[in-house]
Amino acid sequence: MVYFFELIKNGMGFSRIGKIKLSKSFKNSMNTPNIIIPFNQFLANNAEFIDSFGCQEIFLITETKYLKDEFLNKRFIDSIFIFAYDGTLNRFQEILEEKKQIFQSSNIIPIIPFNIPTTSINKEFSNQEIQKHLEKAEKILFDYPDIDFGISIKLFEYSELFNLYIPIIRHNSNIKILNFPDLFHNLARYRKIIELIIEIRGNLDNNLVLMVSGKLVSNYLPILIYLGFDLIDSSYLLSISLENYYDSIESLLPIYKMKFLPCNCSSCNGKLGALLGDKHSIEKIDLLCYHNLITINNYMKKTLQYLHTEDIRAFIEKTSFNDLNFISLLKILDKNYFKYIKGYTKLIQKNKIINCLGPSSYYRPDFVHFRNKVINNFEPENWTKLIIIFPCSAKKPYSQSKSHRIFQKITRKYPEFPTIQEIILTSPLGAIPRQLEDIYPVNSYDISVTGEWNEEEIEIASDMLYNLLIKYDKGIPIICHLDGGYLEIIEEAKKNLNYNFIYTNIKDHPTSVESMNSLNILIQKYISEFIPKTKNSEDSYLSNSWIRKFIKIIDYQFGKGFGIKLISKNLKYRRNKKYTKMELFNSETKEKLGIFESSTGKINLTIKGAEKIAFMDNFSNYIIFDGNQIKGNTLFRVGIIYFSPNLLPDDNVCVFDKEKKKVIAVGNMIIGSEYIKNTTSGRVVKFYETR
Amino acid sequence: MKQDNNAKNYNSLDKEIDKIRKISIRRKKQFSENELNKPVSFWTKKERLIDGIGKEFTIILRTKGCYWALEHAGCSMCGYIQDANIKNVDSQQIINQFNYAFENKIEEILNDTDDYILKIFNSGSFFDNSEISEDVRIYIYKKVAEISKIKEFIVESRIEFIDKKQLKEMLKYLKNTYIEIGIGLETVDDHIRNNYINKNLFFLDFIETLKLCQKMGIGIKAYLLFKPPFLNEQAAIDDCTNSIKTLISYNINSISVNPCNIQKGSLVEYLWYQKRYRPPWFYSLFECFKRSLTKSDLSKIRILCDPSGIGTKRGIHNCLKGECNKNMKQKLKQFILNQNLDELNIADFECNCWRKYQIQKSYI
Repeated sequence: MVYFFELIKNGMGFSRIGKIKLSKSFKNSMNTPNIIIPFNQFLANNAEFIDSFGCQEIFLITETKYLKDEFLNKRFIDSIFIFAYDGTLNRFQEILEEKKQIFQSSNIIPIIPFNIPTTSINKEFSNQEIQKHLEKAEKILFDYPDIDFGISIKLFEYSELFNLYIPIIRHNSNIKILNFPDLFHNLARYRKIIELIIEIRGNLDNNLVLMVSGKLVSNYLPILIYLGFDLIDSSYLLSISLENYYDSIESLLPIYKMKFLPCNCSSCNGKLGALLGDKHSIEKIDLLCYHNLITINNYMKKTLQYLHTEDIRAFIEKTSFNDLNFISLLKILDKNYFKYIKGYTKLIQKNKIINCLGPSSYYRPDFVHFRNKVINNFEPENWTKLIIIFPCSAKKPYSQSKSHRIFQKITRKYPEFPTIQEIILTSPLGAIPRQLEDIYPVNSYDISVTGEWNEEEIEIASDMLYNLLIKYDKGIPIICHLDGGYLEIIEEAKKNLNYNFIYTNIKDHPTSVESMNSLNILIQKYISEFIPKTKNSEDSYLSNSWIRKFIKIIDYQFGKGFGIKLISKNLKYRRNKKYTKMELFNSETKEKLGIFESSTGKINLTIKGAEKIAFMDNFSNYIIFDGNQIKGNTLFRVGIIYFSPNLLPDDNVCVFDKEKKKVIAVGNMIIGSEYIKNTTSGRVVKFYETR
Repeated sequence: MKQDNNAKNYNSLDKEIDKIRKISIRRKKQFSENELNKPVSFWTKKERLIDGIGKEFTIILRTKGCYWALEHAGCSMCGYIQDANIKNVDSQQIINQFNYAFENKIEEILNDTDDYILKIFNSGSFFDNSEISEDVRIYIYKKVAEISKIKEFIVESRIEFIDKKQLKEMLKYLKNTYIEIGIGLETVDDHIRNNYINKNLFFLDFIETLKLCQKMGIGIKAYLLFKPPFLNEQAAIDDCTNSIKTLISYNINSISVNPCNIQKGSLVEYLWYQKRYRPPWFYSLFECFKRSLTKSDLSKIRILCDPSGIGTKRGIHNCLKGECNKNMKQKLKQFILNQNLDELNIADFECNCWRKYQIQKSYI
């Protein structure tokens, strides 16, 4: 199948890893996100530039002299070129006609330019200009159906005019790249930027490549990638070099201020230092151009490293402090647009420490998703007699920490232990039922702890605690084994709860002998106070801690009530040698029902496991395939007849045959329903088992 | 015949220009009686005539002002309304202005060995009766006809005032003089002309007027605006190149390329203050000439270019280094005088602003 862009995997936020393939290219494909390096005569004559960027995947050219076979297809055979002509559209059309063959057969993508007007005077003017431009652009697209184009989308600060572009983008399948040359000219309009991104995602094919150009410098990179841009044009760095600015990533520094050159590139290590004071030196400008391009290129590599293997979100938060507008953008995106970003963002990360850096982390999409899901999908065990609230611990999962082992030495000695619901308070995740301590992000997060909680942390935790406790009968006693700031959370949650809160006597710290005695006394006193409607005998399989966990994890993943359907009394589990996974199986039939992965805290159902719950009315984690058998380990968009509307990236999902009579495969979502809705191609599910 | 108010409204630019125009007109000084009897300016200097190098005698008359600016906001780059009186200037005053310049220069002209081209500019339309009456025109024709040294006669007008009657009248008195009418075409692109310059003139209408004049043996000098507002450097090169090539194909007599400069009270000045417009670079202008003209073209048409504010930050300039601009100015002057493209060769002079130009021309 010929495609232009293929999503490999979603990152956090709107970020994504993908690849671009020019069907006519000699090279296999080009990775995204990627930085576009400008190519012009004076750079080409610079040996160091060729040395450093000779293997660059993508270049930008503006001059027609490079539209030659020997340049594109021989000398730079492994690179892709973007042709961004900077003159009139009429002249661009002439070039297109003259060089038609080059565009049809080489590794080059022309961007339909929108260079004039350079600026606008009012909205009416902008509207008029855009409409006029689109009439001409439509004709170009129609006249050259065999050429893949990018299109420049100029908005003149009126982002609401984007809807003028939507019809032409939808009606022309040879538009592959959307280039935004003026979107980031005024960062103070970050709300408009976010709204535009949401609109693109919601209204257009999600496999369109998003490119951004114009006045961008290095420190924009992380936020641009977080917003989902695949290609970033670095040409403006040449312009700022001419204005004698040194890009240090955190900021642009006037060259005359530089005393120390904080970079090891050949410019900074070489002659640049000696030329700092020379106002008119061309050599200084060349060296500065080179340094600035190296800087953005290196910063891109760093960002990609985080995107691929580390917690990119923490990196974005840290780097957002380079510009106040970035901080605001992230805050507004988190708080006001979660329901949009949820459909695109990675919600589970594997094998990473998730550092919470402060207020900027509280409303990360994966955290908000987690808190919402716990509130929506966690149901009290109906044999609960007592609730105990504990503080969190540094080590995760909590049970394996020194403090919680001490707590459990007390709680587990009671035969009624399975009727105790433990809840752990933490920032910024809120209130965690013990059964969910192994799932992401509870199993991976870390935060700076001082014993002091700010108002926002208290609000988040108390809100979640309230929403959990309200599910329980108010007759159930609640023992709070907490001190310091934790007590403020209880006080806040209590305001709207007429429940019985009892406080242990903490002396020095919660694990001291005196504190533990106090806990023990209170448990003794209150364990039999409440009589639940359902009894759970000690030897019931539901008393087992791991079984209790699996039930709640299944509920968390698929919805309330599915856990108890899957986990019958015949369910057993066994760990693998490395203790990284647990296999859930039916002890009688020996059928494997699922695999619990400790790295993610997810249970991946097997086909047999899925069959136990997938045919239930309210089960919604499924897709219907257009066939009866699947080949390979990937489901592509084109094979889908139906998909549930609420599927998210990383969701465990089962695939039915055409008649929805049997489960033919199980896997994890690569993209969510929102993405599927707005695309006609690409990978959707990665299978780990097919029938 | 003037445009009526319903004839235009092609764009949303005029309201913005009008706002700026009204402010600048309000602040304008009133001209004294003495000033109204003298021209705005007049001079003589070397100039390219049709058949070779000669001299120009230019007179700028102070009239009521261009009706397009007074009644319809005017062109976005034009600030010449500042020189106009706004109120009527009567015929006698205009004749006095003409006479003042004429009497000052006539001896010089008569004693000169060079032939002359007389240029009468009123920063409006010569054939607009509200600016210059028929009597004044006839007076001027008669005066010009008396001086055999004056081989060429140039006036300017918007096309709505050019008709057979006017042309016949000119020809009646100026039998032995080559006549050219300068028309502010600015560009062959209707969209740029009407939406960025606010000219309200269509190319086909211009061609009709051109054909009429050609039929009657009157030359047309098309003014092209090099780098109108809202264009970047490359677009300016493309646009002007296209305009020159197109006009050559219509056998135009003269093309005067006017690099846009920053005139007081204009929309362009407003954009310039906000760093949203930069006057063109010499490099772009030279590139345009090299791309659009051949030796053969230059043997058939006359290219003129006499920029205002040349070498300053309000006019066409490279960097602000005196030597660079001086060099470019000299090259341009030689090119125009000799109509030889080789004069535009810049290999002999390198300024480091060339690097800046290469990079920044995409942006502004």
